[in-house]
Amino acid sequence: MTLVRYILPAFVGGMLWAVAVGAQTPPTGTVTGRVVDSTTQQPLPGVTVLIEGTQRGTVTGLDGAFRISGVPAGNQRVRARRIGYNPRVATVLVGAGATESVQFGLSASASLLEGVVVTGYGTQRRVAITGSIATIDADKANVGTIANVSQLIEGRAAGVNVVQNSGEPGAGVQIRIRGGTSISASNDPLYVIDGVPVNNVETETSAVRISNNEPPLPRNPLNLINPSDIASVTVLKDAAAAIYGTRAANGVIVIETKKGAAGGPTMEYEFSAGKATLGRHVDVLSADAYRQFIQQQVDAKTVKPTVLAALGQANTDWEKAMTRSAPTLNHNLSFAGGSANTQYRASINHMNQQGVVIENGFKRYQARLNATHQTLKGRLRMGLNLTGSHVINDYLPFDNTGGFEGGTFINTIVYNPTYPVTVTDPTSGETTFFELGPGFQSVRNPVALASQIQDQGKTTRILGNVSADLDLFAGLRGNVTIGVDRFDSNRDTYMPRSNPVGAQFQGLARQANRNNESQTLQTVLTYHPQLGGNSDFELLGGYEFFKNTLKEFSAETRGFLTDALGSNSLSSGSQPQPLFSQRQDSRIIGFFSRMNYGFKDKYFLTGVIRRDGASAFGEGNKWAVFPAISASWRLSKETFIPAGPFSELRLRAGWGKQGNPGVPPYASLILLAADGNSRYVFGERAVTGFTPTQNPNPNLKWEETRQTNVALDYGFMRNRFNGSVEYYIKNTADLLLTVPVPQPAVVSTRLENIGKTRNKGLEMSLDGQLISRSSLSWTAGLVLDVQRNSVVDLGGRSFIPTGRVSGEGQSGQVSQRIIPGHAIGTFYGPQFVGVNSTGQQEFNKYKVVRDSTGREVSRELVGTTTSPGGDDYVVIGDANPSFSLGLNSRANFGRFDLSFLINTQQGLDVFNNTALVYATKGNAKRGKNFIASALTDGVGIDEPQIYSSRWIENGSFVRLQNVTIGYTFDIPKLSGFGQHTRVYLSGDNLLLLTDYSGYDPEVHTDASINSLATRGIDYLHYPRPRTITGGIRVQF
Amino acid sequence: MINRRRTNLIRVAAVSAVALFSPAVACTDLTETPTSSIAPENFYKNEEEIIGGLASVYAQLRATTDDYYNLTEVSSDEYIVPTRGTDWYDNGRWLELDRQLWGANSPAGLGDVNGAWNALFTGIARANVALAATDKISFASKPVVQAELRTLRAFYYFLLQDLFGGVPIVTDTDIKPRERNTRAEVFAFVEKELNETRAILPDKWPTEMNGRLTKGAANAILASLYLNAQVFTGTVSTTGLQPGAARWADAVAASDRILNSGVYTLATNWRSNFTADNYLSPEIIMQVMFKAESGLGLNFLMRALHYSQFKPSPWNGFATIAEVYNSFDAADQRRQIFLVGPQVNLETNQPVLDRTGNPLVFTPEIHDVTNATEGEGVRIAKWPVDPAHVNQDNGNDFAHFRLAEIYLIKAEALNELGQTSAAVALVNTIRARVFSPPKPISAGISQAEFRTVILNERLFELTSEAKRRQDLIRFGQYTQRPWFNKAVREPYRILMPIPQTQIETNPLLAQNAGY
Repeated sequence: MTLVRYILPAFVGGMLWAVAVGAQTPPTGTVTGRVVDSTTQQPLPGVTVLIEGTQRGTVTGLDGAFRISGVPAGNQRVRARRIGYNPRVATVLVGAGATESVQFGLSASASLLEGVVVTGYGTQRRVAITGSIATIDADKANVGTIANVSQLIEGRAAGVNVVQNSGEPGAGVQIRIRGGTSISASNDPLYVIDGVPVNNVETETSAVRISNNEPPLPRNPLNLINPSDIASVTVLKDAAAAIYGTRAANGVIVIETKKGAAGGPTMEYEFSAGKATLGRHVDVLSADAYRQFIQQQVDAKTVKPTVLAALGQANTDWEKAMTRSAPTLNHNLSFAGGSANTQYRASINHMNQQGVVIENGFKRYQARLNATHQTLKGRLRMGLNLTGSHVINDYLPFDNTGGFEGGTFINTIVYNPTYPVTVTDPTSGETTFFELGPGFQSVRNPVALASQIQDQGKTTRILGNVSADLDLFAGLRGNVTIGVDRFDSNRDTYMPRSNPVGAQFQGLARQANRNNESQTLQTVLTYHPQLGGNSDFELLGGYEFFKNTLKEFSAETRGFLTDALGSNSLSSGSQPQPLFSQRQDSRIIGFFSRMNYGFKDKYFLTGVIRRDGASAFGEGNKWAVFPAISASWRLSKETFIPAGPFSELRLRAGWGKQGNPGVPPYASLILLAADGNSRYVFGERAVTGFTPTQNPNPNLKWEETRQTNVALDYGFMRNRFNGSVEYYIKNTADLLLTVPVPQPAVVSTRLENIGKTRNKGLEMSLDGQLISRSSLSWTAGLVLDVQRNSVVDLGGRSFIPTGRVSGEGQSGQVSQRIIPGHAIGTFYGPQFVGVNSTGQQEFNKYKVVRDSTGREVSRELVGTTTSPGGDDYVVIGDANPSFSLGLNSRANFGRFDLSFLINTQQGLDVFNNTALVYATKGNAKRGKNFIASALTDGVGIDEPQIYSSRWIENGSFVRLQNVTIGYTFDIPKLSGFGQHTRVYLSGDNLLLLTDYSGYDPEVHTDASINSLATRGIDYLHYPRPRTITGGIRVQF
Repeated sequence: MINRRRTNLIRVAAVSAVALFSPAVACTDLTETPTSSIAPENFYKNEEEIIGGLASVYAQLRATTDDYYNLTEVSSDEYIVPTRGTDWYDNGRWLELDRQLWGANSPAGLGDVNGAWNALFTGIARANVALAATDKISFASKPVVQAELRTLRAFYYFLLQDLFGGVPIVTDTDIKPRERNTRAEVFAFVEKELNETRAILPDKWPTEMNGRLTKGAANAILASLYLNAQVFTGTVSTTGLQPGAARWADAVAASDRILNSGVYTLATNWRSNFTADNYLSPEIIMQVMFKAESGLGLNFLMRALHYSQFKPSPWNGFATIAEVYNSFDAADQRRQIFLVGPQVNLETNQPVLDRTGNPLVFTPEIHDVTNATEGEGVRIAKWPVDPAHVNQDNGNDFAHFRLAEIYLIKAEALNELGQTSAAVALVNTIRARVFSPPKPISAGISQAEFRTVILNERLFELTSEAKRRQDLIRFGQYTQRPWFNKAVREPYRILMPIPQTQIETNPLLAQNAGY
């Protein structure tokens, strides 16, 4: 209702404007045509066709056709451009009321300087862009098995680091644009889909814990968007992002979906089938090696003979039993078309991706409709984008972090290889999973865990927006957009009595719902006058209202008589658990304005100012202003600067301030709530206690990032080669940091604006048209990224610990410290020296002198110790790479095409928490398996695992992320329809070159303490598969 | 041209105006109204809400059985947590506590010691929030409720000064760095608060309110405070304790107020103080209430028992040293708290195996504290299994004070006042119910001999009840007497270090001497 109250006046206002200025329109005509690749003569979709000097323009459809109406009569220059192609201009004499036709043949180019880029609340010619922007052509990036937009970006944009949490189907990702500046608050960029910001929160509740372990990280909320519907992805990295003000500190990812075009209808069907297999292995002892080892140990009297006697007869490779060759099937069907005034595109998608580990996967059903309509002689344009998506997540019970009792991946490593997966009762013939004993125990058959525990989430999401775009008078355009994003999910879990995990509860069933509703209203006025002469000027002003409500409800019951009912009958359990529900409301409101000015196509200036308010901050600190200014200068257009080898040379510089509101609602208030910790027993009754659940902080405000960016864009050999070099400094102050507070306090930490971080970086990109002949073309691109992150200040603190170490015997151990002068992701621990003759690990021992406040003044190496204490802890690693590099290449020879993407990161450290805990022979004393490297490490069988530099490994890697080979053939034209078919074969993650001993160095385990960021920790993550995909795409 | 420029200017102005003035028509309201929690000013509106607020301050008592409990027990001779192969190394924390080698920056200092500091101060902060809120309103039970809140706060301060010496005394709700008060000031604050509240608190609560604080509780804390007055009002330097004035007569007086109240009697069956139905024991004066419900139960058994002795699987950690086990008289009923020899599952009574498939046997000797086997170390199971336990949550209450200790406090104080024979009589009352045939202490012992008797008797009676560290400090043995794996340590270690993380947060906190 509130929304309606504000939309109506805006609409009415807009209409009044329209009526007032409606009488002035000059006579117009229509321009139609088709754009093809000049080499292959194939139709080119996604080409922007513009009538120069006007607001009229469109994008070609799948058949390469376009239609622009409302073109002012007279001689008009029609410009066609597409990323990767040289633009063409044609002059057409448009008669009033007439339709003129023009054909374009575009030649491929690697030039980055052409095309139109979506920059937020509008588009801009690439050459006029003054900020730092990376664009990804979704068609080129959508190769192999891609479940979501995050995977499209990986390795393709300088300064954008994408780390998938794991190899789980649809796994969540860590995206850090220019390093991520925040320590506690979110480092997620803002996602804007078709102009509407999306609240990118996890769509399903987290898993029921197995024992005390942390459940796996949530899957990617963007799985709800079909990558094949995406036309382009633009990453706004610096001042350009400032138009999104409050939410822009981590950069903005602007996603444009494919639109319809006049003509057609055209239809496209694509089918692909993939097969995922395990790429690398964690080497544990085979059954025979294990028997041999136990025999040796028994002979040496280090292991009791009973362990040998307890060995089974089976030879089970548990990793093999837990993994499979997993299929992925993907169907896309789309059709598009329309008349001069109405265009549409509709698509449906079904994706079914099975996990490379058994018994999990994800399915997506998605339908999408995009329609535009213009009326009032083209002066009112209305648009609709509607996506309906249904995702089914089949979850696997594994752990993110935790102790010694665990889910599937712990047991895959430690489960005794001499035990069978299943046993068959000789009399009844019934086959059951083998378990060590009846009921609860801490070591569990992982295949049984995966098979017996039922955990499924279903999410339905509707993402829609409608917009009206009206030419008020020449040069002035008003736009109103209303967006709604709603999802409802439920997650059903049942841990059966028949499984050791469920047995401890006599069966556990839970149903958990989560729903989220976001509403967005944008009103934007754009003034773009035809100044003539050398100046180009655009002014934009707008208002945005964003409202979000998130609700959760869950119910859990334990104590079932039978497993037959699963999670469908909670009332059948005898032990109902306390119910849970919560609701959160938040609002963000912004007023923004942007001015673009260009002079002689040589000098460009952009100014942005946004005033933003967010409800989550303290009273009096809710509003802030975010300005940005940036400029560029095309040196190559100056006659007084010798061109040298450069055909294009452009200098850009910008400064801007952006905010990060990544805090939960109500974070500034003291709140009383009932929770488990505040219940108490009086008499025999547990009384609900109300207690403050957080400390108040009325001063809570934005985390502010000031970013300075200097860049040089270049092109040489007539722009056959081009790219840019950028340098930036991002200073983040008033860091939103969860810090310990002076006691007494109701909670030991509080979210405060404390401290500073600094990110500096160098980004380079180079794209080249290496060969450009009609029979052979070859383009290649390189992105290089050098980032340095450092914590500047922690409000006077000398450190804050984070990064819990997981595993048995590790409780209370911490692996990282946030320390001023060091990067976020700095490993802190004892320095491993070696193993002594008695099999004990030795570490450097230091003598430390401290001042009266307990801070270290000096330290001196005084020898070694086998039991390192607090003084022996030093900095032992850095999870951040010294540089990362992405290399992509694409070649067309005749009807064949071949592309690949190589991704590398060098100089990063990874903490192999998996090896720390499981490369230990002592497991054998209890009949558990271990990682084979322990056999030769010289450490005694009774030694505890000690966190140290020994487990910090070099995580440098080179990954062949994708190779795709395709063949295109034309079927003779039938009744006017051009048929165009491409078949391809694609491989993901084909090769990984690394010294890292775990599954994959590119991982993320969230081991945070008090939500303080951790980086570079690998603990038993879901292995990242190698996938081969074959597909066919047919266009009608 | 001029005209056109003017038109343009007007248009620019119009756009700017719309952009700038749209705030007037658009929504700009960002007020937050929490939906699933509530602001304190909207709470505490009726008795039930007040009980809800009060419960949360009591709830923090549960935390006294975690880090505070572990620090006092593991750093004394009563408990030891050996590293068992790959289990229980935990960063070396337990070995530090076993050997009294903690520091402000060490794993135990940053872990357990920091945890105890936070947990106890959280109780104080909760009490302060509830006191501030109830100050503003009037309701029938306000005097009693506020007396309970103040008594709880005084108790948390009592425990804090026990571990750390002087700490900041805070009675408001501001969060800011503060300097430490002296230990004597904390002592005086606790004493003053309790002397006021004991006049207001009831003698007894109706059964359905069992567990709320009474006069007896305030008096028991006072008795213990006075008993330890020389330590608690003393100063600690690197050379050790400079004792404060003794308060033996006050200890006797506080004890007598309990003994003469007519509210408490010694339980006939000693063990009934620890069983799941121990809320019925007439002996318990102040307890942490537990219930066999998820998150509300006692989990001591989990810390001590072997993996296969209980369901869910316990953690096989806490044991005691042979010296302590052997000091118990074989005829003493109280020795039954120890599990030694071949073991059974405590629920099924069936013999159990260790993880290598051998019968599980607990042995008093631990050959190597850094590498103990599964069965080494006698276990303490003073609070037996609650048959109605829900997973690890047992309903047995944990008494911070029970009448037997008041007898012992009075006896110790009387002995120091020269009344040894009266003291012996009190101890013998306690011993009478646990020896059959009786085995009293001889009436003719000297004052000095009685000191040994009382320290031992407190061990026998109160093992595992979080008293041993205080006792050893009071008798000068905590750092100075070596035992099994602990050598003589620096005398300043009778106070724990202020964890470095707390000093980082509050630079006004001065570190304890020696650290």
